[in-house]
Amino acid sequence: MSDRASIAANIKRNSALYICVAPFLVLFALFSIFPVFFSAYLGFNHWDGFGEPVFVGLENYSRALGDPIFRKALGNTIFLWFWSTALTVGLALTLAVLVDSYVVFGRNYFRMVFLLPLLVAPSIAAIILRMFFTSNGGLVNLMTGAVTGTPSYFDWLGSEFWIKPLVVLLVIWRWTGWHMIIFLAGLQSIPRDIYEAARMDGVGRWAIFSRITVPLLIPSLAFSVITATLGGVQMFDEPFVLTQGTGGTNNSATTLGMYLYATAFSQFNFGLGAAVSWYIFAGVVTLTLIYQAALRRSRMGAQ
Amino acid sequence: MKRLLANRERRFNLLLTLIILALSALFVLPLYWTTVFATRSLAEVFQFPPPLFYGDNIFQNFENIAGVYPPFRPIINSLAVAIPKTILLVFVSALAGYGLSRYTRAPGHKTLLLVSFATLFFPPSLALIPFFLQMSWIGWLNTYWPLILPAAASGFGVVWMYTYIGSTVPRELYEAAEMDGAKGIATFFFVVVPIIRPGLAALAVWTLVETWNEFQLPLVILGASEKFTVPLALTSLSTTHYSDMPAVMLATLMGLVPVFILFSLLSRQFIAGLTSGAVK
Repeated sequence: MSDRASIAANIKRNSALYICVAPFLVLFALFSIFPVFFSAYLGFNHWDGFGEPVFVGLENYSRALGDPIFRKALGNTIFLWFWSTALTVGLALTLAVLVDSYVVFGRNYFRMVFLLPLLVAPSIAAIILRMFFTSNGGLVNLMTGAVTGTPSYFDWLGSEFWIKPLVVLLVIWRWTGWHMIIFLAGLQSIPRDIYEAARMDGVGRWAIFSRITVPLLIPSLAFSVITATLGGVQMFDEPFVLTQGTGGTNNSATTLGMYLYATAFSQFNFGLGAAVSWYIFAGVVTLTLIYQAALRRSRMGAQ
Repeated sequence: MKRLLANRERRFNLLLTLIILALSALFVLPLYWTTVFATRSLAEVFQFPPPLFYGDNIFQNFENIAGVYPPFRPIINSLAVAIPKTILLVFVSALAGYGLSRYTRAPGHKTLLLVSFATLFFPPSLALIPFFLQMSWIGWLNTYWPLILPAAASGFGVVWMYTYIGSTVPRELYEAAEMDGAKGIATFFFVVVPIIRPGLAALAVWTLVETWNEFQLPLVILGASEKFTVPLALTSLSTTHYSDMPAVMLATLMGLVPVFILFSLLSRQFIAGLTSGAVK
């Protein structure tokens, strides 16, 4: 039998694979891969969706960089990505370690209760948070008013300083439980006798945490940080609803995702929007590569 | 001495537990307060100290909200998107995952597997604008098709089903099925699906919740308010400056109820769904 015949026979015997994967691949190619190529084309053109697209080279990319609102959105996105990732992951890791080995009761309750906010859509969570922080009759102002004795009408949501921490708070509230579950699963895969041996040798709690737990949790940590970063860099729902689509006073909470949305769907400048989406993509890729390099270094350090 | 230390440790752990308990209460508080406000009158909500327990104004609030907002339509709309999408996504993912985990020696298998994993890193924001234009050419704007059909191709779902089937279905089963003369697709339906039911359930719950909460894509696709899904309808309600806070909170609560019912029924599958994505 010739080689070609045997390959043909092999393909025929395994033809079910291609049938099984086809629905996924066809849908994905049509509605995800095609749009990406189209987006690359759009980025080099000026187009409002009606007339003929006009080729403008890199103008969209340089125009975005020259726009102070884009630069502000870039800064906001970095702020929101960094703080939401650092605080959520930090809190979740602490909680997971405590729930896993220190808590004296209610372990199953703690596993569940922090997950509940994840069920609330980001946009709906933002509506609820608005109720707490509205200037007139918001709970937070009622409380501060009661404590200080004079009624408070502070406009938290309109404040250029406070709006970003509020977005971060929203992310922490929704996502801590998810990261905690990831860490708990990672902790359970660490053999218990390592801890016992360390304790027998008189190793302290902090040393156990930093020298044993964290290094062995690195795969879970990497997964959780990368997931948080993918969400953080593309953040849209939370700041959009919290600022009712305005981006806050002087765009103080406008993210790159919101900038993209505004250019494309309010100004119908699809080329500029596409260019912004490639900047976002570049950010995601850069951060993922940095994480991977850090991961590789930490693995080499462990050996 | 040793007992003293153990005692101190126990007290320390108890203190830690109480701190975490307090923190968990803080996490639940916004949800609790939403439900309290939904049952109170506008006047009660603005009092100080704010009401801590349920009131009896829920029917009045319902009447108020029903006057400005169709309270059930967004829920029905969300179900009309989430249920077909979930069924389709689970089916497409399981079928692809089965093919990839069974036919490992097929030509091109490695490439297909690599492509499936690569789709995990696909950033949705990159496709948003061209996808919108594509939908407008097909004439699907303001319909549910863009939210259902394209979303059924999920790299996450495929990779997950691939690992799940690989670890739960023994390979001997395929050999036995082959000896019985069962074709590949038939084996999937009659042999594999019954075994992987828990995995299908987990993926389904996770997809339902994700879809229920989706905001940006429906915002771009759906223009007419009578088509709005729950997050869109609630967001537009809260931006109309309709100031009856308890009524808005009741509407919010109604939009949350389906997800919370689902979670209370299938929380184990939901959590399994979370951890399955983690690198083992």
